[in-house]
Order: sequence, then C-alpha cells, then structure tokens
Amino acid sequence: MALPSVAVSRKTPKRLFWERFRQDKAALVGGVVIATLIFIAIFGGPIASDITGHPQNTTYSSMTDAYGVPLGPNSQFWFGADAAGRDLFVRTMYGARTSLFVGIVASGFAVLIGTIVGLTAGFFGGWVDSGLSRFADVLLAVPQILIAVGIVAACSTSKDGCLGGLVQPGLTVVIAVITLFSWSYIARIVRGYTLSLREKEFVESARAAGASNLRILRSEILPNLIGPLIVYTTLLIPTNILFEAALSYLGLGVPPDEASWGSILTDASQLYDVAWWLMLFPGAFLIITTLAFNLLGDGLRDAFDVRSER
Amino acid sequence: MKKFLRFALLASAVVALAALAAGCGSKKKSSSGSTTTNSSSSSGGGGVVGSGSFSSGSPAKGGTYTVGWEASFGFTDNFDPTGEYLGNAWGLYSNLMLRPLVGYKHQPGAAGNETVGDLATEAPKPTDNGLTYTYKLRSGVKFGPPVNRAVTSKDVAYAMNRLANPKDGGQYSFYYTVIKGWDAVANGKATTVSGISTPDNSTIVFHLTKPAGDFNLRMSMPATAPIPSEVGKCFEGKPGDYGRDVVSSGPYMLQGADKVKATCPMKAMSGYDGANGNHIILVRNPAYDQSTDPYRKNYINTFKFVVNSNADDIFAKVQSGAYQDEVSSPAPKTIRQYATNSSLKPRMIPNVGDRTNYLSMNLTQAPFDDIHVRKAMNWIVDKNALQKAWGGPIPGSIATHIVPPVLFNNGLAEYDPYATPNEAGDLAKAQAEMKQSKYDPGKTGKCTASACKGVLTIADTRGVDTRMVPILEADAAKIGIKLTVRAINGAYPTIQTPAKNIPLAERPSWGKDYADPYTFFAELFASGTIIKSGNTNYALVGITPEIAKKVGATGNLNNVPTVDPQINACSVKLSEERTSCWENVDRKLMTSVVPWVPYLWPNNVFIIAPNVTHWNYDQFTDGPAYSSVSVK
Repeated sequence: MALPSVAVSRKTPKRLFWERFRQDKAALVGGVVIATLIFIAIFGGPIASDITGHPQNTTYSSMTDAYGVPLGPNSQFWFGADAAGRDLFVRTMYGARTSLFVGIVASGFAVLIGTIVGLTAGFFGGWVDSGLSRFADVLLAVPQILIAVGIVAACSTSKDGCLGGLVQPGLTVVIAVITLFSWSYIARIVRGYTLSLREKEFVESARAAGASNLRILRSEILPNLIGPLIVYTTLLIPTNILFEAALSYLGLGVPPDEASWGSILTDASQLYDVAWWLMLFPGAFLIITTLAFNLLGDGLRDAFDVRSER
Repeated sequence: MKKFLRFALLASAVVALAALAAGCGSKKKSSSGSTTTNSSSSSGGGGVVGSGSFSSGSPAKGGTYTVGWEASFGFTDNFDPTGEYLGNAWGLYSNLMLRPLVGYKHQPGAAGNETVGDLATEAPKPTDNGLTYTYKLRSGVKFGPPVNRAVTSKDVAYAMNRLANPKDGGQYSFYYTVIKGWDAVANGKATTVSGISTPDNSTIVFHLTKPAGDFNLRMSMPATAPIPSEVGKCFEGKPGDYGRDVVSSGPYMLQGADKVKATCPMKAMSGYDGANGNHIILVRNPAYDQSTDPYRKNYINTFKFVVNSNADDIFAKVQSGAYQDEVSSPAPKTIRQYATNSSLKPRMIPNVGDRTNYLSMNLTQAPFDDIHVRKAMNWIVDKNALQKAWGGPIPGSIATHIVPPVLFNNGLAEYDPYATPNEAGDLAKAQAEMKQSKYDPGKTGKCTASACKGVLTIADTRGVDTRMVPILEADAAKIGIKLTVRAINGAYPTIQTPAKNIPLAERPSWGKDYADPYTFFAELFASGTIIKSGNTNYALVGITPEIAKKVGATGNLNNVPTVDPQINACSVKLSEERTSCWENVDRKLMTSVVPWVPYLWPNNVFIIAPNVTHWNYDQFTDGPAYSSVSVK
C-alpha cells in the first residue's frame, strides 16, 4: 500500500531563526525598548529641549535653593534639576545620546578589531595564534579601570590629546579606552569559532576548489560568525555603557558640558539623600537599557542556537 | 519561562528601586520644604559668618577630643615640620606640639593674626635699620620625651639650618633667603647659616641682607620651631622621616614619645603611623610648663585625629558625638541641614578663611593676552551663582579683589572695581570692554576671533567644580568665548606646569601662609616664582622670554605686565605704610594687570559635636584652636 504523500515545506535558516525569536516575548520587548532608546538618543535631547524651552547646559538659579541644593521635579522641570541647576529631563535625554553612542560605537570598533584578530589567530594558528592570543590575554589580565584612568587623564589635559592628535580629549578618548579593553573578548570568541569552522567540510571543499585564504575567510567562515557576533555585540553594548558610566563616575568620562547618565549619577552620589531624582531617572534609564540589550542578546542567542534550552 | 521570570524580577527591581528612591525623597522633601523657607531668612542677613567661637558653660579639663579627618596623613611632607606645608598640619603643630619663637593667641578674627612671643618673650622690633632681629627665649620651656631638657637658642638655630638645607626637604625656605648666609647653605657651600648667631642659650640673633617687614611673621611658621639636634641628626638627609618622631616643645606630644630613646636609629612613636596610617594621637607632654605659655588653655587630655574618607560618615559621627570635630568640607546639603535646624545651627561655625578662590587667566594665551578680554571676563562672571555653587553665603562671601580684606586690617573692604548688580555680572559692561579688544574686530561686543573658540579650561572633578563649570561656560559664551573644559581629578599639577600653556584655570584657591599680603603677592605674581613644575603664578604675571624659555612656556610674551617692582618695594616696608603699599598692589593687579577673576573669599565652616563645650577658631592656622577646645 502506498503511503499518502505529505507536503513538507522547507524552512530557511532565516525563517527558523525568526520563528524561534518571535516566540521570545522578553527579547521582543527588549528590541522595542532599544528601538525607543535609539529614537530618544537621536531626537530626544532636542525635542526635550524644545518642549521645555531649557537648553541642556543652561543653569537656572531658581532651581537651586539658597544653599545650592537642587530642587526636585515640578511642572516645568519634570525630572527636577541637577546639582548645577540644569534641567535633568533635558540632560537625561541628551545623556541617552552620549551613553548609547559610546556604547554602540565602542562596541562596533571592538567587534571589528576582535573579529579581525580572532579570525587571523584561529585560521592561521601557529605563532600567529600564539602571539595574538597572548596579547589578548594580557589585555584581559590588566586592571582595566586603573589603566583607563591613566590613559584618560593623560589624553585629556590638553587640546591636542594623545598619539599626535589621533585620540582627542572627550568622547574619542573614552571610546578609544573602552575599545582597547573590549576587543579581546570578541577576539577570543571569534578565534574559538574559527578554529572549529576551519575544520568543517565546506571549508575543505572550498580549499580543494582552489579558494584563497582571504576568500575562505570572507566567504566561508565570516558568514558563519555573523550570528554569534550579533549576539555578543548586543551583550557587549550594555557592558560598555556601564564602562562609560564607571569612567564618568570617576570623573574621567565625557566632558562636563556633554551629559551622560554616568556623569549625572556621579552628581547623584553626593546628593542622593537630598535629591533622589538625580539617582532615579538616569539610573532607571541605565538599568532599562542594559536590561533591554541583555534580553535581546539572550533572545538572539537562543534563536541562532537550535540546541539551546528555553 | 525562566527568562520571563528573570525579566519580571528585574523589572520589579527597577520599580522597587524607583519606589524606594521616591520614598526616601519624599521624607527628605518634607524637611527640605520647611528648611528652604527658613534658609531664605537665615541667609538674608549679612551676619552669616559666626563669631568663630562656641561656648556653653565653663570649660573643664579632661576628656578625649576625636577629629574625623577626610584627607590622608601624608600632608605634604609626612608630618615632618621642616617640610610640612599644609595648614591642617600647622593647626596641630601651632596649637599643640611646637613652640616657634613667635606665635599667636589662637583666636578668631584679626586678633588671631597678631603675633606674640611664644618661645620668645616677645616679637621684637628690628634694629640696625630693619636688618637685625634679636629674640630672647622664655625660661622654663622644655622638650618633651625622649629628650626632656630645656629648649635653647641652639635648637632654634639647628631647625633653621635644617630648613636651609635642601636635603632636609624644607618647602618654604624661600621665606628666609633674606638671612645672611642662607643661600650658602642652600647651595651646599656651608652647613650653618652665618647670619644666625646664638650669643647664649636664651638669645638668638638674625642678621638680614635687606629689611623684611614681616620677619616676625616668618618666624611664626612651624619649620622654625626648635628641633633637638640629638634627634634631628637621626633624620638628616631624610625628608619626611622626622614626622614619626617629632619631639614636642608644646603642651602635647605624640603618643609613645616616652617609649622611645633619643638615639639613632630611632624607633617610630606610636602616635603617628605614617602617611598611610589612620590616626594621629597626641597626649599631654609631661615636660610642658603651663606657666611659660599665656596663650594655650590645654583642656583636653587626649587628641585623636582619625582618617575617614567618607565625608557623610564624618558628619554623621560628629552629629552623634562619636567625633567631636571634623577636618572636612561640609557639602551644601550639610550646611542646609545645620543652618535650618535651630538646635543644630549653633554647632555650625563659619569662619573667615583668609583665602581667595579665583579663576586664573594666562596672560600669554589667547584670548587672555588681551587685557580687555580679561576685564570683560571680570564683568561677565556671575559671582552670585558661583557662590551658590559653593553652598551660598555661609561657605564664603563674594570676592571683589585679590587679597581678603582681613589681611589689610579690613582695608579695601569696599573696593570692587567690577561691581555689578547683585554681583551677578553685567553683560553691557562686559560687551563694552570686549569691543575694545583685538579679538572683536567688528566691535560686536562678542569675541568673534577664532582664538575664542575652544578655549582650553582646566577644572577639577569635585562636586563644586561640576556645579561651577556650567555657570562659567554660560557666562563666557555671552561674550563669545566658547570654553573647552577638561575636568581632571586633581587639577593642580596640570595648571602648575607653565609648559602646558593652560589659558584658563577654574580650580585655583590660595590662602595665606601668615597674616601678610606678601604671602599672596610674592607667591602668586612675582616673576621669580615662575618655575617649571609646581608653579603658583598660574597667570604668568611678569613672565619674560628668558623665563618662558626656562620653563617651556610658549605664547604671546610681548610686554606681559609685571608687578615685581611694587612687590619688592612693599616687602621692606613696615606697619601702616606696608599695608597701604600692598593695597595699591591689589588695585594695580585688578585694574592694570587683571590676571584673575576673584569670586569667593571662602569661609572655613566647622561643625562640632553636642558634647563640645568650648570651641574657637584659630585665625593663623585657619582651623580649630585645639588648644582652647573642651568637652563635657
């Protein structure tokens, strides 16, 4: 007896990914929150400034009391004032831009450098692998905050910056420092994946077909790294946002006239018991941002990895 | 599912944190709501600076006085009096441990800046046309353990020779270069200063190369106090090491001084355990004779100075009585708490600090190489807002010129060459000044030249700096100057390096070394004090191309104004003539040189515990008069 024919539809990897990902509601919420945050980062500062009529660096003496202690939220200053009497709502919105910009750009550079180094080390092996891997290990072993303090301090005391002006004081120093200490994580991960991938059959067949090393790396191995790279990038961004906040907390982050959540929290550390709003609003945004990126990253990892357990 | 649980938990945590913060805030808000009203009225009067003293009943002998100390005990030279240059250490030396030839009454206000004989019977008048000072020592003054013998004039001479020798780390020996033969020791050509003679054990004579009207004041500084050579020799060529074995000539000594022997190498006394230690403990000196000392009361049995890097904790402990006093800086919130609470208010004592906070403009750097820009800055800065950034009128009064009036015997008290309504700045006057500047060729009232874009400004990272910087940026922008601010944790080393060519410095503050304007003008404006690192003439007043080459400074060195002739002329004058002379230097600096925007004459605000029964300020050391405090 012949069996009835059953139509089996073929699922592409993209479709498999999306089916898994859309079941993960937490990750979807994370994605929506991140999209909102990006919107805030791009447009939030100017819009907030426009709505309230308060430029981000204008001080309002009416928003500090006779002793210079900032005053809390009211109908005109929705998040209250910061220690200098500036509108905290406007500064928090502008802070989103700084924090996300630093987090995303530094992570982007770190992923770029880490991918190149990891691919090279993993694919070529031998002394190339040893040299690059040990260098990455050294970077992982150094006391990052201590070194960061030194670099930022050294590069921020003049208009010219460091390395013949390549690293400029301000945001670029912060991004450079964060990149310096972030790429090695990515490099180790990419190296591990590359070591595994280079032994796969499709790489062997490409080699047998006469493909060059560069072509194998570009066309065979790199596409297989996209998934993990996306996942780890989403996990790296919140880490780097927190790194920026830590540098700002130490007074080494962005310049004083550029708001960042970390620098606002620095002020809060001295005043939180009399000015709760300084801690609450930027702190909540920071937590929500890191949480959203983490949830999205987890969701992406699960969706890319069919073996993972829910 | 697990992930949703985690999501829910984290979200709950955010909400809980928010609620907690809001809850905490609402409690505080209710109190601040009422205090704000009170603070307005309390700060409205002019008498925000207290009497500099507190008294509740008769002081009694005994007890322990514990002081919370926010900074470390490294000071500037590990408590070695020869090199120590920090006022807080001087407070301990002058009140409790050391007796220089000349001293003070340890009182607040002008009376506290008047010199009296301490180890000497009096602060003498000079003879020989101001070139000779002869001091007679009191009898009965003894060194404490482990030396236990009478102090002689040779011990003073030994301390002076130690101060002259650079190998022993003297940090303000430049004040004594007027003594004959000083430079020979400083240059290693002699071992003793030839201009110091000790005809007998109770007489010491100083011969000067030129008159110094403030010589008695210079002999009040702790490095000039006697040091017994039998102990001092153990530490020759080891700057800072003597700090752990300072031999007392005053009413108190380091704990454990009686447990060590005066033989080299000396064991450290237990009362001070070094720069990284967490305490200094002083106990009564058994060799001290109260009858030799008319100005120290010495009620307390034991002083404990305890390092605590958490300022909030210090003030909480003072309020609870665990500490009696503090060497810290009360934040605006603490000042508000005390100023608006009638039971706490008497225990917050603001005192005139003999200090000026200022913005320093570098005379060689654009756009501040143009006096009109510097004047425009003086017109535009909202000093009222800066005062508020410091916490309002209690932490300080608005400065209108260089030297605090108290150092002119209240001369120049009304002098304000850049007076503006409510000291909040005057845009019209600033723009009128800017129109005369080469950096405003179009006469727009704003600096339109490229030199005004991105003017490097070095600030610090303290809370008060973060409050001040936005105000300065906004003010400068009104006259077209766009500041590029670099906030550095510990800004001094940067601004003290002329080769860095910093145009504007937000951090500077200067206090007197002793009660004479010389300690402002000579240190801050004399061209001779411009050095490669550690420079204090940040504005580079009087710099010449030769000096610039030596220190690595570059910029516009053409005709930088100087006040060297005026400083030299005033430094040899005496009494009223001297004061009047210094006042003229102040006027000249404010109108013809304009290196600063002075904005605050800070008060030193101290908060004391409920069990302190007597406290007063020591105007010389700008700190508590420990020799007068008492507890119940």
